[in-house]
Amino acid sequence: MPRELNRREFLTTTGLAVGALGVASRTAHAQTPAKAGGTLISAQTTEATGLDPQLVPALSRSRRSPLTYNQLVRFDPDMTPQPELAESWQISPDGLTWTFKLRQGVKFHDGQEFTSADVKFTFDRLLEKSQSGKSDFNAVDKVEPAGKHAVKFVTKEPFAALVAALGGFWGFIVSEAGVKKYGDLNKNALGTGPFILEDWKVEQQMVFKRNPNYWKKGLPHADELIVRVIPDEANIVAALRTGQIHHAFIEDNKNYNLLKEEKSLTPYRSSRLGYDYLNMSANRGPLKDVRVRQAISWAVDRSQVMRVATAGFGRLTAPATAPMKQWQLPEEQWMKYYKPDVEKAKKLMAEAGVANGFTVKCMVIPTFPTMVSGAPVIAQQLKRIGINMEIENVEYAIWIKRWQAHDFDMTMNSTPGYADPDVAFFRALHSTKGQNWNSWSVPAVDALLEEGRRTMDPKKRKEIYDRLQIAILENVPHLWLYSADLIDFTQASVKGFRQHPTALLYGLEGASIDKA
Amino acid sequence: MGRYVVVRLYSMALTLMGLSVLVFLMLRLVPGTVVEQLIGADAVVNAAMAAELKRFFGLDQPWWRQYASWLGSLAHGDLGTSWRTGKPVIALILERLPVTLELTAFAVGFALLLGIPAGIVSATRRDRVVDNVTRVGTLLGLSVPVFWQGTMLILFLSIYLRWMPPVVWVDFFADPRRNLTIMLLPALCLGTASAANVARTTRACMLDVLGSEYIRTAAAKGLRPRLVILKHALRNALIPIVTVLGLQIGILLGGTVVVEEVFTLPGVGRLVLWSIYQRDYPLTQSTILFVAVMFMTVNLAVDLLYAYLDPRIRY
Repeated sequence: MPRELNRREFLTTTGLAVGALGVASRTAHAQTPAKAGGTLISAQTTEATGLDPQLVPALSRSRRSPLTYNQLVRFDPDMTPQPELAESWQISPDGLTWTFKLRQGVKFHDGQEFTSADVKFTFDRLLEKSQSGKSDFNAVDKVEPAGKHAVKFVTKEPFAALVAALGGFWGFIVSEAGVKKYGDLNKNALGTGPFILEDWKVEQQMVFKRNPNYWKKGLPHADELIVRVIPDEANIVAALRTGQIHHAFIEDNKNYNLLKEEKSLTPYRSSRLGYDYLNMSANRGPLKDVRVRQAISWAVDRSQVMRVATAGFGRLTAPATAPMKQWQLPEEQWMKYYKPDVEKAKKLMAEAGVANGFTVKCMVIPTFPTMVSGAPVIAQQLKRIGINMEIENVEYAIWIKRWQAHDFDMTMNSTPGYADPDVAFFRALHSTKGQNWNSWSVPAVDALLEEGRRTMDPKKRKEIYDRLQIAILENVPHLWLYSADLIDFTQASVKGFRQHPTALLYGLEGASIDKA
Repeated sequence: MGRYVVVRLYSMALTLMGLSVLVFLMLRLVPGTVVEQLIGADAVVNAAMAAELKRFFGLDQPWWRQYASWLGSLAHGDLGTSWRTGKPVIALILERLPVTLELTAFAVGFALLLGIPAGIVSATRRDRVVDNVTRVGTLLGLSVPVFWQGTMLILFLSIYLRWMPPVVWVDFFADPRRNLTIMLLPALCLGTASAANVARTTRACMLDVLGSEYIRTAAAKGLRPRLVILKHALRNALIPIVTVLGLQIGILLGGTVVVEEVFTLPGVGRLVLWSIYQRDYPLTQSTILFVAVMFMTVNLAVDLLYAYLDPRIRY
C-alpha cells in the first residue's frame, strides 16, 4: 500500500506534529475481489457550474471530469505520472518534440474509436477556446497526429512541465463527434471515462451509468453512480451517519471530529496538493512596499490560523506543497520564515514609514468555511502591528469579478494546486506572461520562472525551484497559510475508494459496495 | 361578482407590471453577471470572449431594451429560456412545481389539522393549563426560524434515531411511500409557524364569537356544547381564519425556498435561489412572476370563498 507508507513517511520526516496529525486513517483498500454492481451515492456541497472540461475553470467541474473523461497521463495518488490514454512517451534530443504512443481499442461513450485525431482536436480546441487552459500549455506550438495511434506535441521551447499539464485539470480528452453533436460539453459529457452521464438535474443530482466498454477491464465496479448536491454540510454529515449516502467529500474539516468515531464509516485523510493563501495586491497603497508585506508575513501566526480554519487537520506548507514531494524545500529552509515575530514586523513597518499602521480590506466568500474562520484570526494578528484589516463578505459571483479585475487589497483565497512547479508558480506569479495573482513584478522571480520552464534536466530544475521558493518567501507575493487535509468518508461497506491529492474524483471508478 | 373579479384581475395585472420592473432592476443592481459565472474564477480576463457572451445574452443592450424584449416575449406567453441550462423556463418550473405544491399542501394540511383544534380547545378552556400550554407552544412555533428547526430536526434524528429522510428524490407517483417519507419533515417544518398562526387566530376568533348572545341562546335552549362550538361558533369564526390561511399559503410558497434548501428538495424555491446565484436573469425573473401570479390567484380565491362562508357578503 504505497500511499499509506508515503504518508507515514512524510509525517515522520517533517515532524510537523500539529493537532492529530499522527492519527493514521483507517483506509480500506480492497483485499478481497471487489463486488460488482449496485448504486453508489456520493454527495457534495457544490454543484458544477458546467461540465465542459475545456471551458469551465471551476474545481467543481474538474472534480467530476474523471468520471466521464480520461487524460493521456494520470497522476496516481502518490503524484507519479502513469500512462493512461497514452501508453508511453519519448522526447526528441532537442527537447522540442514529444511523441505519445496511444492506447488502442479505447472507445468513446458513443462507440467511436479513440484516435490521434481526437487528441489533436482536443488540444486545438483548448488552445483556441480556453484562456485558463491555454496557460497550462502556453509553450505548445502544435499537436500533430503521427499515424492513427501516436501523436506529436511540438513545443516552442523546451517545456519540462508538459506531462504535468497533460495530467492536470485541462488535460481531459474530448471527442470531436461529441462537440459537434452538443455544441459545447457543458450540459453533456462524451468521453472515454468509466461512467456515462445519463441525467443531470441541476442543483439536485447527476446520474451516471457504468461504461460497459471501459478500457480498464473490470472497472468501474458500480452499475450506477449518483452524485448528489447537498448544500448544507450538516446534512451531509447526517446522511453519512444514517447510511443514506455511500461517500462524501468533507469541505469543513471540523466535521472530521463529528464522524471519525462512527463505526459504520471509513475515514480517509491525506495531504492536499492545494493550499489556502492570503492574496495581496502588491500595487495598492502600503502593500506596494515589500517591507510591509514582509511585516504582514512576520505578524501572521500561520499555525493559529490553521488550527482555527481546519480544526488542526492540515499542515503549514512551503510554496511547493507536500504532495509535490521532490519539489518541496527542506523544512528548515521555509519554517524559519513562518515563526511569528511581532517586533521584527513592527520594525519593518517603521522602516516602510507606516509605523502607525493603516487600514486594508480583505475579501471573504461567505460560503467557504476556511476563509470565514481564518480571516478574523489574521485580522486580530495584524492588529498587533497596527494594521486594521476590515473583512468584506463578498458573494462568489462578485468575488470572481473583482478577483479577475485585480480589484482588491487582500482576499482569502484557495487553490487546488498543481503537480509541477512550473504550472504551480508560473501562472500565479509571472508578472507579464501569467495571471499575476498579486499584481506584482519582481524581475528576479520572472527570470527564475522562465529558466525553470526551459530547463529539462531534473537536477537543475530542482535547484532553480529551490531558489525560486526562497525568492518567494523573501518577497512575499502572498502568504501560504496552510494546506488543509483532504477528508473523505465512505460507508464501511464501500471498498476500493482512494483519495487523490487534487481532490478530483478519480477514486470512484475503483469503489465497490460490499453488501455482505 | 363578475364585475368584482374583473376589477381584481385588472389590479393584479397592474401589480404584476410593477413587480416585473422591480425584479428586473433589482437583479441588475446586484453586481456580477452570468458571463463571469461562466468564465469563472480561474480564467484570465478574456475581453473578447466576455464581449461575445454578453452579446449572446443581450447584456450589451441598454436595460430598457432588455426589459422590453422580456416583456414582449411574456406578452406572447413565452417565459423565456434559462441561460445556464438552455431549457425553457416554463419547462423548468413545471418540472419542479409539483414538489413545491405538494410541500405547500402538506404544510397547509398540517397547519389546519393542528392549528384549528388547538385554537378551539384553547378558547373553550380559557386560562386553564391546556390553554397556557397551547399559547406558549404557538409563540414558540412562531418564533423558531424554519432553517434552524430543519437543521436541528435532521441532526437530532440522525444522531439519536439514526434516521433521516432519503436524500435521493422520488416522485409521488413513482413510489408514494418513499415520497411521503421524504416530505414528512419538510412539511412539518414549513407548517409549524402556520399552525401556530392558525391556532392563535382560531383562539381569538372563537373567544370573540363565544362571548356573543346567539351562542348563549343556543346554549340556553339546551343544545349540546359540542354542537354549539362546532356548528354555531366555529363557522362564524372561520372568516378571519380563512383570511389568515390564504395569506399563509403565500408565505408558505415563499418559505419553501428555505425549506427546500435545507432538505434539498427539487422544488421551485431552490430553482429561484440557484438562478439568482447563477445570475440566470430570465429564469429568476419569470419564476418570481410565476410565483407571484400563484400567490395572487390564491388570494383571489380566498376572497371569493368569503361569499360562500358568509352568505351576507356580496360582491
